[in-house]
Parts: sequence; structure tokens; C-alpha cells
Amino acid sequence: MPRRIVVIGAHAAGVDAASAARKTDRTAEITLITEEKNAGYSRCGLPFVIEGKIPSFKDLIVFTPDYFRMMRLNLKTETKVTKIDTGKKVVETVDKTGKTEEVPYDSLIITTGANAFTPPIKGREKQGILPLRTIEDGERIEQAIRNGAKSAVVMGAGLIGLETAVALQERGLQVTVVEMLPQVLPAMLDPDMAKIVEEMLQHKGIRILTGKPVEEFLGKDKVTGIVAGGEQISADMFVSAFGVRANTQLAVDAGVALGETKLIKTNQRMETNIEDVYAAGDCVESVNMITQRPVVQQLGTVAVRQGKVAGINAAKGYATFPGVIGSAVTKLYDTQIGATGLTETAAKRAGIETVVGAISSKTKADYYPSALPIRVKLVIEKETQRVIGAQIIGGEDVTQRINAISIAIQKQMTVRELSKADTAYAPPLNETWEPFVLAAEIALMKLR
Amino acid sequence: MVKVDGYEVPEGLYYSKDYGWVKIEGDRVRIGITDYAQKQLREIVYAELPSVGTIIKQNEPYGTLESVKAVSDLIAPISGTVEEVNEEVQSKPETLNEDPYEKGWLLVVRPSNLQGELANLMDFNQAVEWHKSLIK
Repeated sequence: MPRRIVVIGAHAAGVDAASAARKTDRTAEITLITEEKNAGYSRCGLPFVIEGKIPSFKDLIVFTPDYFRMMRLNLKTETKVTKIDTGKKVVETVDKTGKTEEVPYDSLIITTGANAFTPPIKGREKQGILPLRTIEDGERIEQAIRNGAKSAVVMGAGLIGLETAVALQERGLQVTVVEMLPQVLPAMLDPDMAKIVEEMLQHKGIRILTGKPVEEFLGKDKVTGIVAGGEQISADMFVSAFGVRANTQLAVDAGVALGETKLIKTNQRMETNIEDVYAAGDCVESVNMITQRPVVQQLGTVAVRQGKVAGINAAKGYATFPGVIGSAVTKLYDTQIGATGLTETAAKRAGIETVVGAISSKTKADYYPSALPIRVKLVIEKETQRVIGAQIIGGEDVTQRINAISIAIQKQMTVRELSKADTAYAPPLNETWEPFVLAAEIALMKLR
Repeated sequence: MVKVDGYEVPEGLYYSKDYGWVKIEGDRVRIGITDYAQKQLREIVYAELPSVGTIIKQNEPYGTLESVKAVSDLIAPISGTVEEVNEEVQSKPETLNEDPYEKGWLLVVRPSNLQGELANLMDFNQAVEWHKSLIK
């Protein structure tokens, strides 16, 4: 009898898990179940549709219904899993018509993801607090703009918050960003690097209020203003970008164990504590390869890599996921911002003593017209002299520098080894001395 | 040839709903996969095709295509005996992405029931309408 593989969720982790399972086992019966109407689309692209860089939300659908058909993946949309019975090895579902069904499995993959989250702030039950997690969320924001919104408050200065703030400002709205922590992009950047981003955004006309927690939502039934750090701010639109919370309840109810970050705990094969039950994506915790500690790393790149491993193992192949370093990039206006590994702040929190090498340089030879500024900051573990983190802000070519340093971190390179990297140069493409090599040399001087 | 939302649909071919095309060449037919299909699969890295002499049956799998992420059965649009296999596609599977209707043909088949089975396929106009329904 063919192996029955059931995947709960059908986005980044779920689709990659199902695809990898199909490649591993050509005869398995593979079913994906999602509550959403649309499956297999890119959430990361949502702000760029609002900005107008991508014509329509439909363009974000990476995997069409025909992809599922060609791969012989049975896709059930608008269907909710109400229970996982690990004893009987079935999942119980209910579709939008109210019809219930028991779907049996030999292997189960939980990719229930995460949902946008608004902290328990006074008045949060009021209408008009708009998250940006799904296509439907994006359409609501789009509708609010078309209905004539002139101003917006974005709550949260993480990646989604800032990308959305830029998108709204580009659509002509007056935008204020409110962040509880004293800096923007706190998970990615140290304060000194975040300051560059803040100044750039303010220069473009976005108001940035850091160190100001949202204390209250004002308005009768619908939010018309907020109080943040004692200041009252009115606006036509309120975007919730506080962050996401993993959807773990279904798994917990089935006896799946959580780790110390309160996300689903798996081993390197993405197996949970229950036999034949795997998990991947935003609902699982990862191991940080530098600190060897569990971390919450809810990124699309992590989700697809974990999903692939879960799918192969669920289909009785063998694959392992080595953990995460935490590489991320974004583009705000014409500024590219990237980070990998630990910030100084995160290293300190993990009890790691660091030295830093930082340099401002150019993306092409200094004399070459149109050379753009770039700043590279390296974080080095003092004791081992290993590279453990990097932050880069520049006009271009940030992503592949981050990727190069990410590989250096994964291979546990020392800063001395990085300072001797054999890098490429031509005047229209790079400086003679690669900026991250110079940053490594600066760190070495401090280690003398 | 027309383009439906960027997917090419040439005239003069018959189409199956399993993303196959059939071109009648005298008393033999040439078969392959549609532009829509290759675009769903993306970079095809491996094509497993039957050998000359194999008998294939309409609506049944005769091979597989594999890309970095996907794998899909090839479903025969027509029944018959394989007389030629495109070796170029086997050695250079990316040919399927580059030119699915010409250089990327898969098999030449001597059909066993061409007239009877053509009724199960779509002509050009039907295929254009079907492609429109796919992209909705």
C-alpha cells in the first residue's frame, strides 16, 4: 500500500515538504491541508505589492493548482484541521461547508506557521488594526488606501514593519513608525547600524519613534489613534507589525512537545517527540549554529530548508537540518540592509565577549562614477577569533556579501582567515580591497 | 501561435489536459509537453523516457520529468508504439524549458487508434480557452 503523507499547512514549509516527499517517494499519497483560500504564495512579497513594485497579489502565488496536480499532491484548501489523533494516526478536518472528514496518515508533517500578533494593549479589540500576513490582509490595506487613507501608523520596526512603512509612504501616505525598543530592526542590527537606517528613513519623510511602546488604541469602535510613550498619534490607518506568534495549539493538543522557546521542538531530521510526526517552518524552533542554543528564527529561507528535510524523512528518506545562523536582507528605498549571525547585542546576551571591525567603503572603485556607499560591520568572538556576525548597509551588492560571510561563519572561519580571502575586483564592480576584508583587518588590529 | 498570459499555445497541435501536445506527421505523431507545463516545473534536470518499441497508452504514464524541486509523470496523450526518442532532451533536459514545442519534443509514436483518440484531445481553440481557465 502506498505511504500516506499528510501535510498541515501549504505555504513555504508545507509545499517544500510535500515536493521533497514526492521526489523521495513517487508512489506516496500526499495530501496538503490549509485553512487559507490560496496556497503556496510568498508572504514576503506582500509589502512590495502594496508599494506597487509587483502588479497584483495574484503574482505572489508561486505554486499554482496545476503545480500540485502535476506533482500529484492532493490539496485541500479552506479546510481546517481540528484534531490530530496520533494513536489512530488520523487528522480530523472540517471544510468550509461544515463537512468533517478523517484523513489517515502514515507520516504527518506539521507546518502550521505563525499568525500576526497584537500584544494585549488596551483597546486592541477595536476594529481597524491591520496586520500584513496573508493576501487577504494585503487586500484590506490596499482597500484602505483606495478609500482615501492619508496617514498611517505602523506599529513595529522589524522587517515587515519597515517594508510596509516604505510601501505606504511611496503610495503617498504620511507614515509614522512606532517601536517599543530603542532602535529599528532590533533583531538584525546593533544600535550604531540601526541609526543609519533610521536617519535614512527620516530623511525620506517617515517619522520614526523608537523606545515608545503602544499603550492604548483610541476610538469608539474603530481605532482612530494610539497612545505611544505618552504621545497621542491620530491616523487613518493602523498597521500591526508587532511580530508573529507560532501556531502550536493543534500540535500541543496532540501531545507534541515544545522546546524552551515555546515553539515545536524537533531533532535534526525535523522529527517531533511523537513517532512519524514531523514539523517545519515558523512553528518550530531552530538551533543557532553559533551558540548551539534554541532560537526562534521565523524566516522563509529557514522554512523551506526545514520543510525539505521534513518531507524527505517523512517519505522514509534521510536528511538533516544543521541549524540556523540567521541571515536576512531587505531593501528600503535604495538602501540594502543585511545581517548574518549574531549582533554585538545578541552576542553579549549569549555571554560571548566580542571585538568589532567596521568600515565605510564604496561599492565600486572610489574614482568610478556611480560608486555607492557601503558599510560593513563584523562581530568577532574574542576568545576564538571566529567570525560570528556581520551587518552590512549599502547602495548595492549587500546580499551576496552577507551570503559569503554566512558561509564563513558556518565553516567557523577565524577573522584572520577572512582577512586573507581571495576576493574579486574590477573598477565598475568593487573596490580593490573588498570591504569585508578591510573590516576583518580592523578587527585583527583590535585583537593584537 | 498565441500567448495566454505568457504561456505559448501554438496552432496546429492537439492538446491533452495532462499538459501534453500531439503533432500529426503523416501516419505518425510527435508528442511533447506544453509551455505551461515546463514553466510550472521550472528548470528540468532529468527526463526519463521509454525506449524505442515501447507501447504507450493514452492517459497513462510513460515517463517522468524532474526539476530541482518538482517531479511529474508524463501522461501519454495518445496510444501507440514509440518509434523515436529525443536523445537531445535526455542529454540536455533544459531543451524542454527553452523550446518545448520544437527542439524539446519527446517521442515520435506510431499511433494505434489516432482517429478514435483525437476526440479525447483539445484542438487549438479549445486549448486556448483551457489555458485561459488555468490562469484564472
